[in-house]
Amino acid sequence: MNTFDLLAQGLLVAMQPMNLLYALIGVTLGTIVGVLPGIGPALTVALLLPVTYRLDPSGSLIMFAGIYYGGMYGGSTTSILLNTPGESASIVTALEGNKMARAGRGGPALATAAIGSFVAGLIATLLLAFLAPYVVAFAIKFSPADYFALMVLAFVTVSAAFGDSTLRGLTALMIGLTIGLIGLDQQTGQSRLTFGLRELTDGIEVTTLAVALFAVGEALSVAAAGKRAPDTIEAVKGSVWMTASDWKRSWKAWLRGTAIGFPIGAMPAGGAEIGTFLSYSTEKALTKHPEEFGKGAIEGVAGPEAANNASAAGTLVPLLTLGLPTSATAAIMLAGFQQFGLQPGPLLFTSNPQLVWGLIASLLVANFMLLVLNLPLVGLWVKLLTIPRPWLYAGILVFATLGTIGANPSPFELGALLVFGLLGYMLRRFGFPIAPVVVGLILGPMAETQLRRALQISRGDLTTLVASPISITLLTVALIALVLPIILRMRGRGQVLAQLASDED
Amino acid sequence: MRPFIYAAAIMAALSAPAVAADYSIIAPAAPGGGWDQTARAMQDALQTEKISSSVQVTNVPGAGGTIGLAQFVNDSSGNANALIVGGYVMVGAILTNNSPVTLKDVTPIARLTGEYEAIVVPADSEIKTLADLVAKLKADPGSVSWGGGSAGGTDQIATGLIAKALGVDPTKINYVAFSGGGEALAAILGGQVTAGISSTSEFESQVASGGLRLLAVSAPQRIEGVDAPTLKESGVDVEIQNWRMVAAAPGITAEQEAAINADIEKMVKSAKWQELLKTRGWADTYLAGDAFKAQLDKDIAATSTILKDIGLVQ
Amino acid sequence: MTPTEASPARLNEKERRPDRAVLAIAVLLLILSGVVGYAAWSVSARSVAYGLGPTAFPAFVGGALLILSIGTFIAAFRNSFPERDHDEIAPVLWIVGGLLLQLALLRTAGFSIATGLLFAATAKGMGRGPLWLTVPAGIVLSFVIFLIFTRLLQLSLPAGPLERLIP
Repeated sequence: MNTFDLLAQGLLVAMQPMNLLYALIGVTLGTIVGVLPGIGPALTVALLLPVTYRLDPSGSLIMFAGIYYGGMYGGSTTSILLNTPGESASIVTALEGNKMARAGRGGPALATAAIGSFVAGLIATLLLAFLAPYVVAFAIKFSPADYFALMVLAFVTVSAAFGDSTLRGLTALMIGLTIGLIGLDQQTGQSRLTFGLRELTDGIEVTTLAVALFAVGEALSVAAAGKRAPDTIEAVKGSVWMTASDWKRSWKAWLRGTAIGFPIGAMPAGGAEIGTFLSYSTEKALTKHPEEFGKGAIEGVAGPEAANNASAAGTLVPLLTLGLPTSATAAIMLAGFQQFGLQPGPLLFTSNPQLVWGLIASLLVANFMLLVLNLPLVGLWVKLLTIPRPWLYAGILVFATLGTIGANPSPFELGALLVFGLLGYMLRRFGFPIAPVVVGLILGPMAETQLRRALQISRGDLTTLVASPISITLLTVALIALVLPIILRMRGRGQVLAQLASDED
Repeated sequence: MRPFIYAAAIMAALSAPAVAADYSIIAPAAPGGGWDQTARAMQDALQTEKISSSVQVTNVPGAGGTIGLAQFVNDSSGNANALIVGGYVMVGAILTNNSPVTLKDVTPIARLTGEYEAIVVPADSEIKTLADLVAKLKADPGSVSWGGGSAGGTDQIATGLIAKALGVDPTKINYVAFSGGGEALAAILGGQVTAGISSTSEFESQVASGGLRLLAVSAPQRIEGVDAPTLKESGVDVEIQNWRMVAAAPGITAEQEAAINADIEKMVKSAKWQELLKTRGWADTYLAGDAFKAQLDKDIAATSTILKDIGLVQ
Repeated sequence: MTPTEASPARLNEKERRPDRAVLAIAVLLLILSGVVGYAAWSVSARSVAYGLGPTAFPAFVGGALLILSIGTFIAAFRNSFPERDHDEIAPVLWIVGGLLLQLALLRTAGFSIATGLLFAATAKGMGRGPLWLTVPAGIVLSFVIFLIFTRLLQLSLPAGPLERLIP
């Protein structure tokens, strides 16, 4: 049987009414748990996996796929509406998405995230079905030096989120890198910056930091503003749906986000976050409305959300073709496969085609369900914003701590939430951008690890860093991205100087 | 909210009524990991076989299991219903983290399952046999980069033991730590490192499909269904097993310990447990009572020595 | 940190005095740089056979923080940080207190009571009361959340006397 027949057969199974119901339940549960700040898709799947044990294999697989996509999607809703990313891959979504929500454009932001996720999920799942073996051959050729070059590129793109001051942007980034140093050194197992506290040996969870800086920091900041901030904000200005111009600005961003997210998700050490960073800076570089970035540009939501979902499908490429669980989520999915006595790996496509295609079909169905479930709810979600501020933020803190307690019920985690929440408040007060802190925590350890691995394998030979065409290309792109804006600024120097002068007044 | 009501109805119909817990098991790891799976498998077997009417699993992740261990020792002393799952990785983590609480503070019950280490190279590698690898290692230890799991874990300990057995300086081993099995496997397949070392099951399907060449396993005898010599028969005197165990609380009486031992033995012999082992691909390396305690002491002593030799513990 | 006392009085004046709050940030960055540097120095097994050791990256970060600290000192004297509005401290203290209370009571009083108190404290901080109404409301809300997440979604949350009332 060829690929199309197998896929069609899988779809037929997945479309049975009972299986559609399972998909709906899976998507709903995944979204509910995924919405909790601090509980990302990996934990969502892990927590809900036992629920699927009780069904027959095909039903279980379908519910499982629904939970996975639902968990991926759930995080973006709180990111956009409440500036509280549910997981690390939707941090970038909060940058523009929340600005849109505050300007009464939460509806279009949610819609472009939902449709973008659907489009990206659809394309990426099809790519997974037809191109997986080729993609994976490329992905495993990535050496530590190539990864390091990718990290350098990602670091350069972080500057897109720096805001109006390089000094404060870099400071925020370095604070993130410092937090990233906490814990055991991956290469030698030595503890660094743990001050003898055992709870710090595993480092600071990205989700804990993100929830603290965004949700708790935001709540403190709003409370401190007192009467200055309005009690409620206008939830809907203009249409709750996307306008023609929104569509026009979104669709290219969806496609670009998919093109960036899928291959990076497929890389064994890629991860969903890097795709979202790169997508955001790509959109910022290409947009016709640069003045809107930082104030609620729809491309800045559409691209990263698509990248985030495409990389979720990308993660399945090494999992299904090589049996490589390359992310926490994939590792838990592996456990999910094992409940059917199924060992993902190079033989899976030939030894168990029905199950593999069943899963891929389930993903397509789950993806569709997600859209069906979420689009009608956009209007309802947006109403959240009409809740008076005290109740809204009290609720946010309840759910933020619920996520943290559910993930790890230790007083230490809650303490970390408070300390970093205060940090978030202070950063806001003095005009430091928040995102680079989280980005530093994500990228710092990755960059350090890859650089040290590269140099360890080459036994200290620095030329290994520019030894492959991949790393040379990536570093060149990074260099251009770094130097080009400086040159442009030099050419428009008069203008900048004028601005500086006006700043000084 | 309609779908949620359906979900609620189905969930309510499916979930078992809550009864007072007979056993509460601490899995000192996040949901999904090996120790968590072991704890949940125990829960399944103990309940299905009616050895215990209700078993609760709590996850206390962190620091190689030492956070869960510390909490267990502090909260459960003298509680005959409390169990904790652990494993060989904990032995190393206690040493590298300088944990104040050690396995001496709990009552070891039994080793349940275990996995042996496998040494592999990419299929297109010029290294064909273990002898080739040994020769390269002896000539220039740094030229062999090893890809494996986290620093100070079973995989790195195994490379240290191999170096020592060959008379090579263990500090000169070029061990590259990867965070998860998947990442290490990708680096090995992609030819980024010379050789790979990890649990046999991690490499199983890649070896079967011809992507990797299996050079040796760290078992005492050849493993059924695995076409590779042991390290010992190839002249490298190393035997190491990444085991998982169950332990009881400190301060319980001898009778209580015997009762737990009996329950666990009943569980291990049960059809459900054997079936679970089979579906998960875990080897039954059950060892209980004093024999296990003696083996544990031996493992702790050997691990402490080798971690010092590698230079990870001062 | 002492930004709130230092800033508002000064904001009305246009003269060039160093921004004291920003100076404090510069000092904090300097201290952080020292801490990271010390951490790099104090790692027990520092040498590795090949490549970079565990101290190289901390040394880099420590150095970068030192430079940024100097940059912030300069910024303080040039007054180049954005102007700040006057912040109220009482609401912040209510929320921080709520979080501390939740942290302290979680293990003993259980999820619902601890989280209900956080809910009431946050609402109070933002100007809604009275506590005799919001505390029970928060506890009921948290209890419903507890039921949903533990019973239906099998999340494990700390139980206290209230949660143990229902079987």
